[in-house]
Amino acid sequence: MTAKAFQIKGKVALVAGDSKLWTKPVAAALAGAGADIAIAAKSSPILTEAVEAVSKTGRKAIAIAIDVTKAAQVRKAVHQVIAEYGRIDILVNAGDIHFFRPFVKIKSAEWNKVMDYNFKSALNFCRIAGKQMLKQKNGRIINIVSGLAERGIANGSAYCVAMGGVLQMTRALALEWALKGITVNAIGTGWFTKSGQPIDETLARYIPVKRYGQPEEIGSLTVYLASDVTEFTTGQFMYVDGGLMAHA
Amino acid sequence: MNEGKGTLEDKVIIITGGGTGLGRSMAFRLAEEGADIVVAARRVPPLEETAAGVRERGGKALVVPTDVTDTAQVDRLFEKALAEMGKIDVLINNAGIVRGERAKSMWEISDQDWRIGIDVNLSGAFYCSRAVSKYFADRKSGKIILLASGEGFRGQRNSFMYNTAKAGVVNLTRVMALTLAEYNVRVNCIVPGFVDTYDSQPEDYQKVMAERRATRKLFVPVGHTGKPDDIGYVALFLCSDASDYVTGGCFISDGGGLAGGFATTGYAPVVSLKEGLS
Repeated sequence: MTAKAFQIKGKVALVAGDSKLWTKPVAAALAGAGADIAIAAKSSPILTEAVEAVSKTGRKAIAIAIDVTKAAQVRKAVHQVIAEYGRIDILVNAGDIHFFRPFVKIKSAEWNKVMDYNFKSALNFCRIAGKQMLKQKNGRIINIVSGLAERGIANGSAYCVAMGGVLQMTRALALEWALKGITVNAIGTGWFTKSGQPIDETLARYIPVKRYGQPEEIGSLTVYLASDVTEFTTGQFMYVDGGLMAHA
Repeated sequence: MNEGKGTLEDKVIIITGGGTGLGRSMAFRLAEEGADIVVAARRVPPLEETAAGVRERGGKALVVPTDVTDTAQVDRLFEKALAEMGKIDVLINNAGIVRGERAKSMWEISDQDWRIGIDVNLSGAFYCSRAVSKYFADRKSGKIILLASGEGFRGQRNSFMYNTAKAGVVNLTRVMALTLAEYNVRVNCIVPGFVDTYDSQPEDYQKVMAERRATRKLFVPVGHTGKPDDIGYVALFLCSDASDYVTGGCFISDGGGLAGGFATTGYAPVVSLKEGLS
């Protein structure tokens, strides 16, 4: 059982964005802590698996298969959540596609794709679900980004820009909505891999705890930031990274 | 792998500076969540009050009068805690002082003022963490939590020892996190903003803080100062298995203060150039 303080019984959480890593464990963790869940992502096995994982906890789950890069579809998805559940208490933007290429070789279409999935998806969900939260005078927005929102990396310009955009949107919205009952925070992820998949042993040595994270380990911080006890925490960027970002 | 449940049943937690303020409020919160608490500080009467509050909440409590700047006393604290409680799971380095120093000009700060400010706010955290580090490393498990401050990230006029020491606490957190990572010991710091804990403080301090409170809340983006549990629940998260892959981090609970610099909400403060007491 989740500690009572962190429980989000009966709250409605929307997990949005396409991610191979975060969608399922985040939806399962929020449901495990008592929330009913809607998942908006492209039609894929991930969406089906996430709904199954939620159902196992006994909470309600609805799958909304959309193209998250299209504002009109995001609007429809948000309205569907409100129609089914009556409100949105928690929005988690989990969109994360990886893309690394030398700067001069990145095509315009590639820039657009990275920005669409990693930034604009979060932007549109914040704009549209944010309106509902303003009406409710209550909300929790949690943006899952990479540590590369804060740090740079060679060949990662598009990824860093998109993730950095979400982080700065987090900070600006936190202040803009500070008096409206909405908190906006970001989670910075380090190096993660699904269990059973091979890891780069050389890279693992650079992680202070000497192992990759497992996607499930993002769930507990998401639940914490979604809970009532964090109402005084807003505009923050917190890492779940085995100590990676504490390096100089 | 952690299950991320976040409860504290059977955990033994040491809190320095546990007699008053945030130390006491964290002790109460953690006791409510199932932990047993060892409280350490210099003055005994407030410690006894905290211990009584912990017992009321169903936890075991042990009082160990300790000056964290005296390493012999610090070593004794851990010996006593182990002997009486059987084990230690978490150390919370909360002891600190802020009172009074800002009333002085830079040129009036004595060597002793400087040493006391740095010793209590920074060295004490190192002494206590060092004292428990071998034990944690040997049992390959443990959590160390430090209390920094928003002022550890920003400067403030005339606040020499406090701001310097708290910046030190932030980096001490990172260094210990990296050093102890391989022993499965997690080290993080909590960064409180303006939090009301004044009712358990001495009366003269309460009076000063009550005057400041009215001004301060104007600087906090969410429009109000924090309540003790705004920090207590951060401690709960960091003490529990919900944070098992988290280390070297700063957990800020400050109503958005540091995100905007305590001055971006349209309440830009008018500050006198002759400011004495902030």
